[in-house]
Amino acid sequence: MKLLTHNLLSSHVPGLRPGGGFPLRIELGHPSELPPEPSPGYEADEEFLRRLHHVLLEVEVLEGSLQCPDSGRRFPISRGVPNLLLTEDEA
Amino acid sequence: MEHEATQLEKQHVHSVYENTAAYFSDLQTKAWPRVRNFLLEQKPGSLVVDIGCGTGKYLSVNTQVYNLGCDYCEGLVEIARKKGDEVLVCDNLNLPFRDQCFNAVISIGVIHHFSTKQRRIKAIKEMARILTPGGQIMIYVWAMEQKNRRFEKQDVFVPWNKALCARHFSESNQSGDKGECVHAAKGQDIHPAQLVISECSYQNNLQPETDSKHPSNTDHCLPRACCMKISEEENRFYTALGRSFRSWFFSRSLDESALRKQSDKMKHLKHERVWANSAIPIQHSRHCSLDLGHHGALLNEQSLDDDDDVFVESLSLKKPQWSPATDALKDLSLNGGHQSVAQSKGDKASFINGPVEDRDCTCGCGKDGAGKSDASKFFKRTSTTDSTDSALDSAVSVGDPADAMLDTKAFMRYYHVFREGELSSLVEENVPELQILSSCYDHGNWCIIAERRG
Repeated sequence: MKLLTHNLLSSHVPGLRPGGGFPLRIELGHPSELPPEPSPGYEADEEFLRRLHHVLLEVEVLEGSLQCPDSGRRFPISRGVPNLLLTEDEA
Repeated sequence: MEHEATQLEKQHVHSVYENTAAYFSDLQTKAWPRVRNFLLEQKPGSLVVDIGCGTGKYLSVNTQVYNLGCDYCEGLVEIARKKGDEVLVCDNLNLPFRDQCFNAVISIGVIHHFSTKQRRIKAIKEMARILTPGGQIMIYVWAMEQKNRRFEKQDVFVPWNKALCARHFSESNQSGDKGECVHAAKGQDIHPAQLVISECSYQNNLQPETDSKHPSNTDHCLPRACCMKISEEENRFYTALGRSFRSWFFSRSLDESALRKQSDKMKHLKHERVWANSAIPIQHSRHCSLDLGHHGALLNEQSLDDDDDVFVESLSLKKPQWSPATDALKDLSLNGGHQSVAQSKGDKASFINGPVEDRDCTCGCGKDGAGKSDASKFFKRTSTTDSTDSALDSAVSVGDPADAMLDTKAFMRYYHVFREGELSSLVEENVPELQILSSCYDHGNWCIIAERRG
């Protein structure tokens, strides 16, 4: 799973407050080499863009889990594939 | 009904794909050109998702965009992953994506697997939700109206078996032990030639009074058995189910059952053979039209039409395909021991391609026209049970597990095939956030492109 994909994902456990499902917490430490917020004018910052590109598209989570920030529900990632199916009871 | 729907889909969609995933390769289906074009038209840098991506056939079409695929079936997703695709496992009805984050969504041959209208709507609404305003979605579903032929009912079970795939049949991981799988061919232990004989005599034992009742005695005819002499060589062809379309079965629509429409149809059916259960196996009309004199021609002239070409590449199918499921079903004894096999052979809409179209069936299958009379002629409704599960189980389960005559097992996939205009109406009436830009018919599918309103 690429980190760009992670950016698109939101927990869909029922009953969350709006926005409560995002962002899913990646449980596998990946050192963040990026600042928490892009600084103004980042589009022109070649160095920043390279690092951003690298983190978004060239780093993949192979094993781990994604945790819903509000409910704590964990979604596993195995062999690079996140499984975001809810059980019948949950849905 | 939600539970029934999920159970039906679990058994006749998810478990089938999961169990057959190992046999899938992209050779099985061509990439539809229109879909490819849709993808290629997306601006570079777009975020594009294929909901129900299967093995990821479309995920490498446009390398200038970010392609994400998802599917309910882990097995298929694994295959896509191995190809290097970015994929995940999730449910179309509950997509784990943020609102309005994708520039384009494709749903190719997916929502026809949902067994109720409400679920189909929900699937579309979910896909609309994740589209950014101005973003576009392309949806493909199987059409009821096929080239030269037509499904007679909208809710069908389509057999699939290993023969469809180019792989070796002998893999043993297609285990019959999985409770969820529906194996229809297990009980086939009769050589087709023997089957011919036994079935023909069986025919005579069927209620004779209906023979004279109506010119088209399609309902009890087992055309292949009655009409064809099958040689050893030809047997081989019957071990391969070439094309899903060739043999299929009607299902009672869950929506219909909820509305209790079936009770009306029952009245029309009482003089006809009736399955005791809800799932009705229907013989393909092609078989009905075979006749002794021409069967050789049939075997040689069977040609692929465009639909078939697109659906199956890995087999060169110049021979008729036979579904082991239908064989098995013919042997079923259900309540009362009746077997009812309706031949759907409308005058205009026939499933038969080319040369076979107007053949008479010497065994007495009518070729009149079912088209004329009401649709009930084509399918036998049956029980009043609401449980499709048990109906399905009994319809396809075969009493005597024995060596399969065919070295293949058939899984039944559920489809709700769409009428012309149905998909558009579904969107127009239920998904106001989408505006339909275009719709067309393509290779046996109804296709629409819609845009998320601003």
